[in-house]
Amino acid sequence: MTTAAPERAVRAADPRARLSRAIENAPLAVPLVLIAVVLTVATDRFLSVDNLTNVVVAAGIVAIPGLAMTLCIAMGEFDLSVGSTVSLTGAVTCTWIVGGHPAGLAMVVGLLVGAAVGLLNGLVVTKLGVTPFIATLATLVIVRGVSLAYTGGRDAIVSSSTLKFLAAGRVFGVPMPVVLTAVTALAAWWVVNRTRFGRWVCAIGSNREAARMSGLPVDRIRTTVYVIVGVAGGIWGLLISSQLQKGSGQLGLGFELDAITIVVIGGTSLLGGRASVVGTLLGAVLIETIRNGLNLLNTPPAYQRISIGLLLVVALTIQALRRNAPAEALDDV
Amino acid sequence: MTSDTALPPAPGAQAPAPTTETQRRWARQHSIGTLWETWGITAVLVVLLAASPLLSSDFLTVANLQSVLRESAYLGIVAAAMTLAVMNGTFDLSVGGQLALVSVTTLMGYAAGGTGLAALVAVLTGMVCGAVNGALVTAMRVPPFVATLGMLFVFRGVAYVLTQDGPKTLPYSEIGSPFVKIGGLNIAGIPLPFLIMLACYGAVWVLLRRTATGRRIVAFGSSPEAARFCGISVHRIRMLIFVVIGVSVGIAALTYISRVWTADGSAQDGFELRVIAAVVLGGTSLKGGKGTLIGTFSAVLLVGVLNDLLVSRGVDASYQRVVLGCVLITALAIDGLRTRFAAPGSFARMLPRRRREAPAP
Repeated sequence: MTTAAPERAVRAADPRARLSRAIENAPLAVPLVLIAVVLTVATDRFLSVDNLTNVVVAAGIVAIPGLAMTLCIAMGEFDLSVGSTVSLTGAVTCTWIVGGHPAGLAMVVGLLVGAAVGLLNGLVVTKLGVTPFIATLATLVIVRGVSLAYTGGRDAIVSSSTLKFLAAGRVFGVPMPVVLTAVTALAAWWVVNRTRFGRWVCAIGSNREAARMSGLPVDRIRTTVYVIVGVAGGIWGLLISSQLQKGSGQLGLGFELDAITIVVIGGTSLLGGRASVVGTLLGAVLIETIRNGLNLLNTPPAYQRISIGLLLVVALTIQALRRNAPAEALDDV
Repeated sequence: MTSDTALPPAPGAQAPAPTTETQRRWARQHSIGTLWETWGITAVLVVLLAASPLLSSDFLTVANLQSVLRESAYLGIVAAAMTLAVMNGTFDLSVGGQLALVSVTTLMGYAAGGTGLAALVAVLTGMVCGAVNGALVTAMRVPPFVATLGMLFVFRGVAYVLTQDGPKTLPYSEIGSPFVKIGGLNIAGIPLPFLIMLACYGAVWVLLRRTATGRRIVAFGSSPEAARFCGISVHRIRMLIFVVIGVSVGIAALTYISRVWTADGSAQDGFELRVIAAVVLGGTSLKGGKGTLIGTFSAVLLVGVLNDLLVSRGVDASYQRVVLGCVLITALAIDGLRTRFAAPGSFARMLPRRRREAPAP
């Protein structure tokens, strides 16, 4: 530690190191700019305030759980249950609003449900020693089932201006989801780069046993991260329900893969130990730009899946080649 | 712990070394822990089957048992191949997309050239899908998790593109075709899909336990580093595993689509997670190197039986998910707690610190 700090200071001053850090996100920024240029030329609607706002709002909405997932993946684990959390949070909130409760209370209850799912994940993973992949896979199935049972398979349709404000409202002309994302992103950046907790999370990600040996409260940190992901999944659920003005057991199917995809495209290694907040934000913008562009070009939704899958593979191929460590890539799960 | 009680008392003060080694190995193989790892889920299945008449009066009828076996086959076939992958320390998230794509191309193949072509197309499509995954993982060095996650989107997307004019369907006039028999035929009362599944387990067992390649698969799973130092080519093994998975999806799709008759890009959403859940439920460790085919086999049947019992009890589909998820967590929690508390010296570790120096047996 004592030698690392000055070393880091020296490295920060080294112009080459600074340049290499600056181009760290280039694999994302370059295709993003290229796609933007192509879309500007190919369609006359891409470069309009309305359309770009749509892109940013969509990217912001997926970035919130993405940022939480960044922490989780930096810890060397991941949470497959967020899609179901989205559904359950929305279902609970909308059902409470339909039941005549104030919207604010309903939203808080929804977020608490998200936190509870996260806590459940955390406890199953730390106290019962179940692998995160399987534990969160099981909660994915369970929470989806609870959500379907809670709504009885029906949509809870609401018309609440408070809930609607979350996705459609504006603060000083800035869309509410963008405000939320900006706050989340600043918080995430601060946590990852400036707090003890962030360093602990990365320490667990690079070597959990070493972290335990050096006295970190490993289980408590892991549980906290799962609760954070649960709450972020809850916020995602509120935003989605706010956009659609309904809660349903069918919402959020496959969302967990979206959240993981933007983190991985953003350059946070699945091996753990490193978190890239800016990368995740860029990943979200990139994916939503592609979706938007394909919509503008009237491509059928099927091609969106193909292109996002290919993007994931290409981005990771570039990362793997850049890392230039064939052995390491194979140990990666 | 129980292994010691299972040991017969040594005949003399100094038993000859080979005997003790044999005894130790026998004890290791017959300790409760090892037995549970291999046969635990099978025991649960037997108990569930024994209790099934209490839960549902019409469970133990021939027709119902046939239908459970027929329904379980496609999941079981892919799970057999996935067991190989998980024992190797990897997994394939794209099997759901592969199943959708293979189902669509199989129906197209049938429309073009009948049963023979359909079967050929199914296996070939699966093989190509597997080879693409394998190439990404070995030649392009993409981590398997992400490579197969990406290809899940791609395969499903291609299936969607192929079915843009509506899902591919087998026309009703084909009811007498041999193709339909693949899913519907019973041989000596046993459904053909289940027989195909048995054959697949046999083939995978031979590959895993009777060939050098099988040894290498497991060796790499238990220690990638050691396997590499032994000169095992990881790339060739991984390629083989992904191709085997692809072929298994091809075979599984045949037994699936010849019963369901219709497919589009959304067919079998979430299949990949069900397959991996079955493998893990069967006691194969996601860390690699450890697992049994019989466990996977029993886990697949357990899930099938459980589903059938829940349906016959009239349990709502949403609660079925809750039950299945809880079963998965319970199984894994038992495993996790067992390894935590049955590890050598774990009791010593639970005692206060100063007792730690107690000599190990």
